[in-house]
Amino acid sequence: MRLGNMEEFWTFGTPFLKYERSLARHFKLLILNIKPLNSDYFQWQLLICGHFIFRIAAVSGAVFARVAMGTACDLFGPRLASAALTLITAPAVYCTAIANSAASFLLVRFFTGFSLATFVSTQFWMSSLFSSKVVGTANGIAGGWGNLGGGATQLIMPLVFGLIHNIGATKFTAWRIAFFIPALFQTLSAYAIFFLGQDLPDGNYSQLHKSGDKHKDSFSQIFYHAITNYRGWILALTYGYCFGVELTIDNIIAQYFYDRFNVNLHTAGIIAASFGLANLFSRPGGGILSDIMAKRFGMRGRLWALWIVQTLGGIFCILLGKVGSLGVSVAVMIIFSIFVQAACGLTFGIVPFVSRRSLGIISGMTGGGGNVGAVLTQVIFFRGSRYSTETGITLMGVMIICCTLVIMLIYFPQWGGMFFGPSSEGTTEEDYYMSEWNSAEKERGIHMASMKFSENSRSERGKRVGSAPSPTDGTPSTYV
Amino acid sequence: MAIQGFLVVSLLFSCLAATSYGEVTFSSLQESLIVTASPKLRQVLKAGEDNIIVSWSFNKSLAAGTDSSYKTVKLKLCYAPVSQQDRAWRKTEDHLNKDKTCQHNIVTKPYSSSNNTFTWTVERDVPTATYFIRAYVYNSADHEVAYGQTTDAHKTTNLFDVQAISGRHVSLDIASICFSAFAVVSLFGFFFLEKRKAKVSQAK
Repeated sequence: MRLGNMEEFWTFGTPFLKYERSLARHFKLLILNIKPLNSDYFQWQLLICGHFIFRIAAVSGAVFARVAMGTACDLFGPRLASAALTLITAPAVYCTAIANSAASFLLVRFFTGFSLATFVSTQFWMSSLFSSKVVGTANGIAGGWGNLGGGATQLIMPLVFGLIHNIGATKFTAWRIAFFIPALFQTLSAYAIFFLGQDLPDGNYSQLHKSGDKHKDSFSQIFYHAITNYRGWILALTYGYCFGVELTIDNIIAQYFYDRFNVNLHTAGIIAASFGLANLFSRPGGGILSDIMAKRFGMRGRLWALWIVQTLGGIFCILLGKVGSLGVSVAVMIIFSIFVQAACGLTFGIVPFVSRRSLGIISGMTGGGGNVGAVLTQVIFFRGSRYSTETGITLMGVMIICCTLVIMLIYFPQWGGMFFGPSSEGTTEEDYYMSEWNSAEKERGIHMASMKFSENSRSERGKRVGSAPSPTDGTPSTYV
Repeated sequence: MAIQGFLVVSLLFSCLAATSYGEVTFSSLQESLIVTASPKLRQVLKAGEDNIIVSWSFNKSLAAGTDSSYKTVKLKLCYAPVSQQDRAWRKTEDHLNKDKTCQHNIVTKPYSSSNNTFTWTVERDVPTATYFIRAYVYNSADHEVAYGQTTDAHKTTNLFDVQAISGRHVSLDIASICFSAFAVVSLFGFFFLEKRKAKVSQAK
């Protein structure tokens, strides 16, 4: 039983769930947006954070956290996994208020960064609750509104800080107090997830495990099937060039407008925030587009849409580096942000179908790919003075277009790829998803969830459903 | 005829007014005050606790009458070049409205040519950095006309340091630790509740 059509989607109450999930992520992103706190004390600390070694450590930590989160979701369910991660990292946010040296600040920021792995559990959760027909939309809204939090905090945190400062605290104390706000929200959202959330339409993992409806899977099997699926690696690479690019732009765009067009810092901050705020509709838009394409053209439609949108994003990125006037630059940036964020939404319209058994780890790998892409791009194009920022942006656009080409290599035997139709051997969805289970496991009957999913995913054939071959296990229909 | 004349004069006058109202640059100011301050070279002062005693007077070696337009003196705490490195928000610009070198006001006093002194407690919102003190002199139209500073033209001598407050309070520390502990304890509570719910559903 899955939430299928749009009516169920909106009435089940899971929109609330999605909102609460995105709230949870919103407050993680708060920690990343400490730039608005202009206290001199803080700015000095931030400079230290630019150190190369810290960046490497942060990225490896982030990738590890996402893959570990994916594994935890596969084994324990997204509800417990994300509530646990949120609560474990809440102390890091509380302790930001008492950090008083570069080292302690780095540690606090590093550990808070782990909480961003709830992105993986969000996408996993949405993929588990919603059926193939609306999974793109669900993932897009949850992911988009979560990223939106990152942009919104650039506007909210300075207000919170200003409020506390006006009440009477000195600046150096006010920012410390300000960090209690996201920390408290983080704790509260963990509570909300635990008490109000539900892993699957049928119930929670722990209950289903005990009642025998869901079997506890083995980590080594899940891991093996995730890393041997080449589609997961391809999507990790392409996600690095949509979400990774989004993260990179978040970091450099305010400085770019400040330096190149001489706007004041406050205006540059607003322009930068609007880049993130586009997530309100652009990433969900990508997800919705993915579902619309799937309805007509199936998985091939999803793949084509992703390639076209991400390539267009690359083209507008090249343009962004080339335009010389402020107004046109802002306009191009907004169009670019819409395409890049829609590409993120489209990616997670495809990820739920790559693997059923290892959905968590595949989601984690893709998410981790985003972070690696971000750091790689920043290191190649935006470090030091080898390239001016505008040249860096243009070259980044070229790299987006090149790395997006690999989508052409993705091929699902049951649905086809960008240039080829489904396999002539008549491979079905069951064949594809059952290949992740061996016969001993099938005998124990623990593959039933994948069976249910493969039936559900038949919608990925597009409008040709009527002409598809019948499953090899079923009896062919006979004329009467 | 009279109207035309009037128009020309008012046009000329407004141009003049525009130029005199224009941006004042630091390089146009005359260094006519001698300013001294109590901190010794590289002495470290604590924000919120230590005092600075500043004295300033007109440089008598300059022509008398130079200070006829001087009205008020504003003393400011200014960043030394070492504290401006890599920090665009403290950058020195020649145009005084854009200049961010001196961001902390010490005191504003009416101008008098000698016997000026002031004791200032370093305020709590002064960040950790290296500083010198500069006095700007304003005329009656409130434009800068002259200055004086404790350091030399290259801003390398007579610098002193300020150590900022940490901003931490014992109450904040306790609150942080308590809330963190609460979060971790809640986590264990969650696991316990989850196990219990599962057992209950198994028993059914």
